[in-house]
Amino acid sequence: MTRRIQVVAAAAVLIGSAIVLSAQQGGGRAGGPPAPPPTPQAGAPIDLTGYWVSVVTEDWRWRMVTPPKGDVASVPLNPEGTKVANSWDPATDGSCLAYGAAGLMREPTRLHITWENPQTLKIETDSGVQTRRFVFGGAQPPAQRSLQGYSAAEWEIVGAGGRGAPAGPRRGNLKVTTTMMSGGWLRKNGVPYSENATLTEYYDRFPAPNNEEWFVVTTIVSDPKYLNTDFVTSTHFKKEADGAKWAPKPCKS
Amino acid sequence: MTRSLLRIVVCSLLATSVAAPASAQVDLSGMWAPIFHEDQVERIPGPDVGDYAGLPINDALRLRADTWDASLLTLPEHQCKPHPSTYGFRGVGNLRITAEVDDKTQSIIKLHTHIQWQEQRRDIWMDGRPHPPDYAPHTWQGFSTGTWEGNVLVVKTTHLKAGWVRRNGLLITDEATMTERFIRHGNYLTHIYMIEDPNYLTEPLIKTNGFQLTPNPAMQPYPCYPTVEVPREKGDVPSHLPGENPFLEEFAKKHNLPQRGVRGGAETALPEFMATAAEPAPPRPDPPIKKPAPVADNEVHSLHVQGNVWMLHGNGVNAAVQIGDEGVLVVDTMTAGLGEKVVAEIRKLAGNKPIRWVVNTQDDPDHTGGNAKVAEAGESIIAGNFVGQAGQKAANFAKVLTHENVEARLVKVQPALPQQALPTDTFFTDEFEIHFNGEAVQFIHVPNGHSDGDVMVFFRKSDVLVAGDVFNTTSFPVINMEEGGSLNGIVKSLNQILDITVPEDKQEGGTYVIPGHGRLTDEADVVEYRDMMTIIRDRIQNAIDKGMTLEQVKAARLVRDYEGRYGAARGAATADAFVEAAYRSLKK
Repeated sequence: MTRRIQVVAAAAVLIGSAIVLSAQQGGGRAGGPPAPPPTPQAGAPIDLTGYWVSVVTEDWRWRMVTPPKGDVASVPLNPEGTKVANSWDPATDGSCLAYGAAGLMREPTRLHITWENPQTLKIETDSGVQTRRFVFGGAQPPAQRSLQGYSAAEWEIVGAGGRGAPAGPRRGNLKVTTTMMSGGWLRKNGVPYSENATLTEYYDRFPAPNNEEWFVVTTIVSDPKYLNTDFVTSTHFKKEADGAKWAPKPCKS
Repeated sequence: MTRSLLRIVVCSLLATSVAAPASAQVDLSGMWAPIFHEDQVERIPGPDVGDYAGLPINDALRLRADTWDASLLTLPEHQCKPHPSTYGFRGVGNLRITAEVDDKTQSIIKLHTHIQWQEQRRDIWMDGRPHPPDYAPHTWQGFSTGTWEGNVLVVKTTHLKAGWVRRNGLLITDEATMTERFIRHGNYLTHIYMIEDPNYLTEPLIKTNGFQLTPNPAMQPYPCYPTVEVPREKGDVPSHLPGENPFLEEFAKKHNLPQRGVRGGAETALPEFMATAAEPAPPRPDPPIKKPAPVADNEVHSLHVQGNVWMLHGNGVNAAVQIGDEGVLVVDTMTAGLGEKVVAEIRKLAGNKPIRWVVNTQDDPDHTGGNAKVAEAGESIIAGNFVGQAGQKAANFAKVLTHENVEARLVKVQPALPQQALPTDTFFTDEFEIHFNGEAVQFIHVPNGHSDGDVMVFFRKSDVLVAGDVFNTTSFPVINMEEGGSLNGIVKSLNQILDITVPEDKQEGGTYVIPGHGRLTDEADVVEYRDMMTIIRDRIQNAIDKGMTLEQVKAARLVRDYEGRYGAARGAATADAFVEAAYRSLKK
């Protein structure tokens, strides 16, 4: 009798654990065959596609205009980075170096986000006319460095309502890790990041109280060559109905 | 024994699989250090005067900020203000987040945030409780409720005091609300907040802050005791007159920025703005302000203030009751239509304790209309000459006390008011006092504000002041010039309130003030109103000194930075009516 109870207790704990695990993994039928993994496009917990505009309520005088040489306020540059920033030539204002992956999202710009294929999310900017590609699935990065580098993407998906809560909408965010960058500027006035930099980004979409749609990208630039610590910013974009205000303006190569 | 064990197992299983729907999806608790990689110059050294770039402000806020003088912060009543939650997360100081958990359910009751500078303490209620009614007090941090959307904590905040979004005069009104999202990515915390203010913002203002989990927690206390930093005339409120702030163009010039850009407005935040930044600004009159209509449910509600005092609130009008062993003292009785409901609410609070006193702060029917009903529900202890004058039947009613100037008007009301609605006791001195229900009660005459008979009632032990119509939170004051009211009298009355009130800590709590209309308040709310009245008085007086006519003053819209918040839609407290009364009373 005692042994029987032990068995029941063990089974109960196992069942309980299974329920918890299932909930944490976002659901699924116990006992059934595992569902085939959807493509990144089909499995997206948030929809980032469409036209978006940056709304510059922060760092206005460092983003909307080109700051003077040597104005590196807020950026944790090390002495080497400061030296490079102080050697910037104002004649190069407008250079494509200001539109590399680590600085691009701080530009006042519109974004056009589309799925290039079910594995690749593409971001185009009208400011600087740049294209970033977020590649899902762990493909090998290219051998060549580039201004936009190589961006490996993954969805970070969470349960809807916590342990045991009723199933809810699928939620999560996009994480993008960018390497193989050729270096560029964090700001229009030549505040540098190097080819050794790594860029980590988190994209979170949400509604505003007035029913507008927004996303915020939290950007972490790690660069042992020019930065003392990670450079962390968060930049917000508002959804637009269409591309009516899309105004491509190429950078100076 | 065996069955018991089985029950325990089943219960454990149920608890594991069903409970804790309100548990945190991610753990936000810990000490977080702010990251100043955005707007560092604005957030640590401080913003420049006149820098509104990128912010969706309207013309009313632009005027408010243009006339703001940083010397305001040297006034003792401004020195210990903490950042409101609409700004605090951008300020300096570590952020500590802790969770309070229900021991039985392990659900989170609330998250508590504490920011070191001025000890900004905030509760985010996670237990599904509703927000308080609109007549409840507002605080610097507001009333916040949180829910989880996946791993994102979403917080909605109401009941904010008038605060700021930037420390250079970009203020927000106490009608602002905020929606926040706290998103943890590893050891980084992204805080997104959206502020809506129907009076000052043309669209939600969105900003973001970054924090990093810190392994070396440090949180120091932050005591603050105000003192006189700059000797001034009593009641002086520093501000610039419209159009006379000499510092507004410095910021743009210093940084070679387009003047039109730094003046702000939603359009200045968009990428295309810079293409036209050098062009003259097009006229941009503020769009009509859309706000929900005030609630008028024809009911009387009560709110315990503190000590022996409750606030009664009905259709936007306030009254107060003090309850104790000796009975009930009622301050104002609302409208005639609400009189019976006032009595019913008193009975709910006080049971059968006798209503001994009715006190009127003034003679308007929205404060005295219920006199008859309330007095009829009361009773008096009378003896001696009073019985001879009023008759024994006077014992069947509560006494009605007010200043003699109020009585003089109530007895002339046509059609005549019933006898029991009229004052039985009056005073003509600056102050009258009784001891009732174990505390001193002072009746303070504040002449020539709303009228010449205004009375404030101060419950000393309970530390609650009933202000009457010299102070309200819903509109500009009604200056009844035919009854001796004046703008200077209003300003003087408000300063008199500030002489009485003492905040508990960080310019909050302590003495509570029940205004004639609107929500329950404390000193900081009176300061906000006093500052406004003083600034407006100074502007209109300056216009008079320049020889401007009433029509010219009205056309100049000298109070347009306050109209959205305090201009009534109709009646004697519209912006026009208030300016006219203010002008005429200052011209006298």
